[in-house]
Amino acid sequence: MLQAIEVSYRLPEGQEILRAIDFRLAREEKVVLLGANGTGKSTLLKVLNGLLPPTTGTVCYDGRVIDRAALREAAFHQRFRREVVLLFQNPDTMLFNPTVFDEIAFGPRQLGLDDVDGRVHHWAGELGVAPLLERTPFGLSGGEKQRVCLAALLILEPKVLLLDEPTANMDPRSTGWLVDFLADLKQTTLVTTHNLSLAGEFGDRCLVLGEDHRLLYDGPIQDFLSDHDRLTAANLVHRHRHRHGATEHSHFHIHEWD
Amino acid sequence: MKDRLLLLGYAIAVIAATSVHNPWWLAAGLLLVAVLAGRQAPTIGWRALRAVLFFSLVISIGYAAGALFGQAVSLDYLILVNIRVYLLIFLTFTLAAKIDILRALSFSRNLTYLVTLVLSQIIPFRRLFEDLRLAAESRRLRRLRLRERYLQSAAAAVHLFDRAEHDAREIALAMRSRGFFQPDATDNAPGD
Repeated sequence: MLQAIEVSYRLPEGQEILRAIDFRLAREEKVVLLGANGTGKSTLLKVLNGLLPPTTGTVCYDGRVIDRAALREAAFHQRFRREVVLLFQNPDTMLFNPTVFDEIAFGPRQLGLDDVDGRVHHWAGELGVAPLLERTPFGLSGGEKQRVCLAALLILEPKVLLLDEPTANMDPRSTGWLVDFLADLKQTTLVTTHNLSLAGEFGDRCLVLGEDHRLLYDGPIQDFLSDHDRLTAANLVHRHRHRHGATEHSHFHIHEWD
Repeated sequence: MKDRLLLLGYAIAVIAATSVHNPWWLAAGLLLVAVLAGRQAPTIGWRALRAVLFFSLVISIGYAAGALFGQAVSLDYLILVNIRVYLLIFLTFTLAAKIDILRALSFSRNLTYLVTLVLSQIIPFRRLFEDLRLAAESRRLRRLRLRERYLQSAAAAVHLFDRAEHDAREIALAMRSRGFFQPDATDNAPGD
């Protein structure tokens, strides 16, 4: 459905962010993208969303190459933007309407869909933000903003969800709610996280970006999570000395992140 | 030393460009800056043109509108103002690419601190600005109306302003916590 073929991305200053990334997402597949900070997870999602053009390689959606020419075609642009949506890590960057209602209605209004009011109320209810509809998005908490952004994306009934650290601004209760909510969605999802304790909840397959910006692993998530050598190579676990009560241990201990 | 001399040259050039009132001299100055920019001259020149275009258009159109209502108009003055603004921006962009500002200001510890703070804020702001632009692009399904574009820009500006204010307050607190601001003998208000 969505495919990256030998995708590399280099910043204008010359720094390489992604190197020869190659994978394919199948319809309704749930995939987790893991990687330490700075490995290029967010950049990869932006490339997949057609926002950043790969320096080399191609991104394909439903067999069509996503490049500037394709996105200049109004019909394809609208279809792609409606079907492949991206939740940014910082929800503030996505909110620009005066009220939560307008924020969620932004997409359907652009498409000229009927019953915008009904759609907004439906998705606001699904995401638990119905009581916030008249409020201004900037006054909400981080978790509420994240839900509003999700409602604004899901109202378009997309086929592919690209979610960049969706739990980053959420408290434990909201995080638990989001995990359950995403599990019930039928869409293809690609979720980035460096939280290993949650990773297994977001999908069965994982892609791991290494610190050399290459794809380090693509396979079943449980195999990866039980492989300490790979976890260490990906810089997803750390070791430090620690104490048990009065007893001081001089050995190293492995913890998960977050 | 080279950076300091360039910075001094820049300061002198700015004073000269604002004191000279002959368009031909300013045009000659423009040529000189273009030579100084070397191979980058077309790129920097284009960036400078984009930066001043809005300002120059507004001034020029306002001036032309004044002429329509019978106000006395000097074409020489209009040319002078536009060349001067373009020269100053071209000069700034050219030297910004050539001067290592930290090295140039290394004679003053306070100025170095100030510039370091400014630079440390520019990078995250550039990233945030890029994210705002990409998020808007990602949610755009068709060509937006002018009102929608204004709305997006205004929201982005508010967000950037809030962020700048928050960061400035945090930085000031962090600097105070690290003893940067020496308390005055008369200053005994710990909560201010």
